Amino acid sequence: MAQDVQLSDADLEKVRALLNANYNPQDHQEAQELILGALQEVQHLFGWVPFEAARLIAEHLGVSENLIYGLLTFYADFRTEPPGNHFMLLCHGTACYVGGSQRLIDTLRDRYGIGADETTADGELTVQIVNGCLGVCDCAPLIHLDHVYHGNLTVESFVEAIENAKRNGPARRDHAAH
Amino acid sequence: MRLTNRREFEQLAESAREKFAALGTGGRWSISVGMSECSFAKGARETWDHFRLQLERAGIQHDLRQVGCGGWCWAEPYVIVSGPSHPAVLYGNITADQVPDIVRAIEQGAISREHAVGIFGDADYDGIPSIHSDPFFARQHRVLLADAGVIDPTSIEEYIANGGYSAWIKALFEMTPEQLIDEVKTSNIRGRGGAGFPAGIKWESGRQARATPKYVACNSHEGEPNVYKDRRLIESSPHMVLEGIMIACVAVGSQRGYNYIGGEHMLAVARFKHAVQQAYEYGLLGENILGSGITCHIRTRTGGGAYICGEGSALMYSVMGERGQPRTKPPRSVEEGLWRRPTVLNNTETLAAVPAIIRNGGAWYAGLGVPKSTGTKLITFQGPLKRLGVVEVEMGISLRDLIFDVYGGMAEGRTFKGVQTGGVSAGALVESQLDVPVDFDSLTPLGGMLGSGGFVVFDERVCAVEFARYLMAFNRYESCSKCTPCRLGNPALVEIVDRIRLGRASMSDLKLIERTSKHVIELSLCGLGQVAPMPLLGMMQAFPEEFAEHIERHHCRAGVCPVGQQVLEPVAAD
Ligand SMILES: Cc1cc2nc3c(=O)[nH]c(=O)nc-3n(C[C@H](O)[C@H](O)[C@H](O)COP(=O)(O)O)c2cc1C
Ligand code: SF4
Ligand code: FES
Repeated sequence: MAQDVQLSDADLEKVRALLNANYNPQDHQEAQELILGALQEVQHLFGWVPFEAARLIAEHLGVSENLIYGLLTFYADFRTEPPGNHFMLLCHGTACYVGGSQRLIDTLRDRYGIGADETTADGELTVQIVNGCLGVCDCAPLIHLDHVYHGNLTVESFVEAIENAKRNGPARRDHAAH
Repeated sequence: MRLTNRREFEQLAESAREKFAALGTGGRWSISVGMSECSFAKGARETWDHFRLQLERAGIQHDLRQVGCGGWCWAEPYVIVSGPSHPAVLYGNITADQVPDIVRAIEQGAISREHAVGIFGDADYDGIPSIHSDPFFARQHRVLLADAGVIDPTSIEEYIANGGYSAWIKALFEMTPEQLIDEVKTSNIRGRGGAGFPAGIKWESGRQARATPKYVACNSHEGEPNVYKDRRLIESSPHMVLEGIMIACVAVGSQRGYNYIGGEHMLAVARFKHAVQQAYEYGLLGENILGSGITCHIRTRTGGGAYICGEGSALMYSVMGERGQPRTKPPRSVEEGLWRRPTVLNNTETLAAVPAIIRNGGAWYAGLGVPKSTGTKLITFQGPLKRLGVVEVEMGISLRDLIFDVYGGMAEGRTFKGVQTGGVSAGALVESQLDVPVDFDSLTPLGGMLGSGGFVVFDERVCAVEFARYLMAFNRYESCSKCTPCRLGNPALVEIVDRIRLGRASMSDLKLIERTSKHVIELSLCGLGQVAPMPLLGMMQAFPEEFAEHIERHHCRAGVCPVGQQVLEPVAAD
């Protein structure tokens, strides 16, 4: 986990507030059941799961940090590094594959130098390649970029979507939530 | 609005029915916009906003409503308009810029012919055909989808108005748990999550298990790369799924049910949680429900993007806040599941059928479909077809009818090459095999599988070898790495397919694939490994000539494989 990125006091306060509001288990069983949900909510908040936030969750639910670390590495959706200014889910489900998502993945590699779960060197774009289906197969191949779907993509319209997003400036902080 | 007894429920149902029936009458217009994840992707939110402004501005007396996904994703964003001067009409592809046309038509009391898909009822009107003259609608039998696109998924009262929770009332006041189980057994419904195990028998084992407390879990993980039925169902009719889980709890003797939903299906998660909250507010969940003495609580839990968490034991570990890795069986989860207590796990679609089964009787359900696969099935298709979306058909319809009638056949300029069945767990079928009935048993002897009902049609642009690699790579990536045959066997298989794609394989490699596959299938611990090589074997069986061409002539007829090229490039995202 990226321990060098510090959360501000205000951000830590947000995490505390969220835990106090929605995560009050009646017993140890329920505490265990709430861990994944709490991690997800934190990721929705920041676009990733900062180390200090994970530690707060561990403390609040009375579970070990180790256990939480094990979950963050097992579940593909969790990010333990801050994403770039723009965040993309690229669907590589079967429909999108049949529709040519491989060409989009190749474009990311050739033009932007990134693969799955990587961020461009300039910190502009993070991509997560989704093996499951995003559920909008009639628009395959399809991406979800800063909360907006772009469907029926060609390599050209794919690049255009990325460049447009970049021109519009950094997206909201929770843009990497899904 | 907390109901405390049965009579209050009946009164509420009566007034909800009246309110629902009044929509689009009394001089008011009803405008329903399909609002689900699939329609958001096509701009439904903007459509909604434009309607809100323009209806207001035009001074039209109206109710602007949101409804779920009706399954006709090809027509999204869609709008259903009914009002004083014409019956309900379904309009398709109403993006924001089309809204003025529709509003103008409403002002004139007319139907905009240009945008009309059909009349949302049985009879034609003013030369516009009923949707039922269109095979996409006519060939469906909508039980689970009866309310989809009709009711507001965020309104418990609209669900109740359409018969919702009347099965729950029966379960609370009229039927014993044994009778509930008997109805489900009579219906002969088999699990919709892939394996097709009879639900009634599972429930009975759950009821008979001695340890307590017991749990019910609904599997809404849906992490397969080719299916989107469960989340559409939850997005459109969350209360139907919830009612099914609640009835299962009573039948099994459990006071707590869970729904485990894939965390990436955010709208489904939100709508389900909302439904649970409403059910508590109305007194349909909680303790001593409507004075019946019965207690039932429901918890919603979300996964984190690992396909393996759809497997029963992995799902339970995940609910318990652990890494989702399957364990060896026995014990089965009806004996030892969540918190090591008896747990009945069913797929979303299985449980969603329960309210209708209890309402109409198991015998009614058993009369649908074919004898060994009763009932209706949600089906999703992907690929270059004229239309895409979710349909509900009776079991036993032929694959050919589904593809060429219901879904309208191949898109302009595309020719059918094959159809991948059973997601990532079975093989593809070719043209000559399409007359096979779609049910649990008929596809398997051909190397296919019903699975969760997701099919992928592909054309000449797709290379059978590369497609096989894609499916194998999925299984390799999603392997939880717990057991050796799956952890090492699948990468080995991908490697061999890569050699074929590069033109560096020999025909004996096909034998090697068969040998390695046999090991993976026979020695893997869970359902993922046990079927992981099936798509590859299936593709080899369906398109043997393409494998031979790659190997012997260094030729890829789709022109996508780097056969004979020198550089070895990574070819897929894994
Ligand atoms: C790798 C793997 C993934 C699975 N994913 C799902 C899933 O997403 N949804 C589901 O209902 N069943 C899934 N299953 C099947 C479940 O293990 C289980 O059989 C099913 O949920 C039982 O419900 P049913 O009897 O109603 O079908 C999966 C199985 C395996 C081996
Ligand atoms: S077969 Fe594969 S997915 Fe299943 S337990 Fe073994 S390694 Fe994990
Ligand atoms: S496969 Fe990409 S949206 Fe379904």
